[in-house]
Amino acid sequence: MNDSQPDPPAPRPSALDSLCRSALALLDSASRTPSRLRLESDGSSVEIEWPAQEPGRSGTTSQTAAMLPPGGPSEPQPAAGVPAEPAEGQGDAAEFYVHAPTLGTFYRSPEPGSAPFVQVGDLVEAGKQVGIVEVMKLMTPVEADRPGRVAAILVADAAPVEHGQPLIACVSHPQP
Amino acid sequence: MFSKILIANRGEIALRIARTCRELGIRTVIAHSAADKDSLPVAYADESLQVGPAAPRRSYLNSAAIVEAALQAGAQAIHPGYGFLSEDPDFAEICEANGIAFIGPCASLMARLGDKAEARKMAAEAGLPVLPGSPAATRGADEALQAADEVGYPVMIKAAAGGGGRGMAIVRRRQDLPSVYARTQADAQAIFGDPRLYLERYLERTRHLEVQVIGDSFGNTVHLGVRDCSVQRRRQKLIEESPAPGIPAPLAERMGKAAADAARYVGYTGAGTYEFLLDSDHQFYFIEVNCRIQVEHPVTEMVTGLDLVREQILIAAGRPASLTQPDVQIRGVSMECRVNAEDPARDFAPAPGTIAEFAVPGGPFTRIETHGRVGLVVPPYYDSLLAKAVVWAPDRDQAIARMERVLGEFLVRGPGITTTTGFLRQVLANPLFLAGAHTTAMVDQMLDKQATVGQ
Repeated sequence: MNDSQPDPPAPRPSALDSLCRSALALLDSASRTPSRLRLESDGSSVEIEWPAQEPGRSGTTSQTAAMLPPGGPSEPQPAAGVPAEPAEGQGDAAEFYVHAPTLGTFYRSPEPGSAPFVQVGDLVEAGKQVGIVEVMKLMTPVEADRPGRVAAILVADAAPVEHGQPLIACVSHPQP
Repeated sequence: MFSKILIANRGEIALRIARTCRELGIRTVIAHSAADKDSLPVAYADESLQVGPAAPRRSYLNSAAIVEAALQAGAQAIHPGYGFLSEDPDFAEICEANGIAFIGPCASLMARLGDKAEARKMAAEAGLPVLPGSPAATRGADEALQAADEVGYPVMIKAAAGGGGRGMAIVRRRQDLPSVYARTQADAQAIFGDPRLYLERYLERTRHLEVQVIGDSFGNTVHLGVRDCSVQRRRQKLIEESPAPGIPAPLAERMGKAAADAARYVGYTGAGTYEFLLDSDHQFYFIEVNCRIQVEHPVTEMVTGLDLVREQILIAAGRPASLTQPDVQIRGVSMECRVNAEDPARDFAPAPGTIAEFAVPGGPFTRIETHGRVGLVVPPYYDSLLAKAVVWAPDRDQAIARMERVLGEFLVRGPGITTTTGFLRQVLANPLFLAGAHTTAMVDQMLDKQATVGQ
């Protein structure tokens, strides 16, 4: 398959930028100070850990959001336009992602200046709107497909996104 | 000139367009569906954007998301390939409104030529012979009956918004017309979202010939020879060749000139095809214009030496076409076979699956256009074209022998996968085809005969 790709992948100076932007967006959206932040440029990963605060849970538990940067032109692997989904269920909490329903522009709030649909730490139910993807003034709601707690907002407000791109990382809502 | 083009298509044509872009030093971004994210064209393109899920309506037919993708990627032009949005005037208009060049004719002309009843009227005005028929789209079965009485049976009822061999039906007896009319109207509404129908006299035993034209914005309109596309199964082309066998040079020249004049008359820009029927008395009649690059364009490229996708891009960028009529020289014979992932034993039902073994033919004067590779999952959502085998030879006999060799070299195996190579080889061996005396009825007759023998 790579035989027909005579050119080596072009240098992608924006990969690190993209990582930094994602990390900043994550930190910006977090209501708490993270306990650990890890960036890796070549393997394209961001890891952020927040100290667990929930009463009744072990103090050593942490919520981990592992992610890849937004997909698109600056992806290190041109064959995979949309980043492969990170394995779910890392650690002791089952993670899942809310994906972009179409290519377009991601918005975190119903309208400019208003409060975001969700913040890190919020509980969401299945069907809860967590964002908007806009294509040519057509607004498509982004909804969680199962209950959980928002662990990280992976894409900055008003950023271009591809179909299928992970937008919000969640941790499964513990069943009562 | 454009520095980046978005390709709004998939499969072999997406790859073929990307290759010419690379030769022109133009960066490519491919807008693709989730089902094609691991495809060869996506890997080949400089950039890719996933616009939607597998369902074409939400990906390859999603005008808004595709134009948005072009804006996101900073592409100045969109190449729509064939099928999907390639002949959608609304899409061309959205491109224009967003400052993106649509690689094809302008939206308003495409809208007029896309209405087959209107295109027929414009062709007649430009002096092209048309079959006797209703002067415009008919307003119901009564008006169609009246028109059919004047034209004489059999007649062909066709969707005004039709194309690609769909939305049409033959009526041989007057009493059958109302029911066939109603059924075709329902089909037209279902397939094209437009129930309007028109009708023409139906000719038995015709050949399907077509003239490739290119026109630039400086008034230079050129015809590039005649293709024969008479090898069809239920109006779907299987084998195409250029020049058309058994057509005297003066007739080919008359058809070519008539098509170029008609294209000039409407101010056609870009690459287009004028389709004709040829009857047994060598009379030709206009049927429709295709406002896009066609699947079978390589055979014209092989006999003229011209890269038609390159011409499309240059013309869309406001450059002149690279040649004028006196520069056009037709050399030798070129033939194309469409290798589809279909099962001839099951009435050519699509046979999608995963390719486990894939050997591409090679050798002298052989061109294979394919997105196939080992590991490719041929998805069920799209058309079944897997590869085009194209050969060139100094004469037709040698071209057929070469094609026979090429099809024999093709190896496509995998769970669920079946291809039409075996059936194509049967067609190549048919005495009518060998003699170049076949009509559009040949393949269906072959299949009827096989079905009878099988019973």
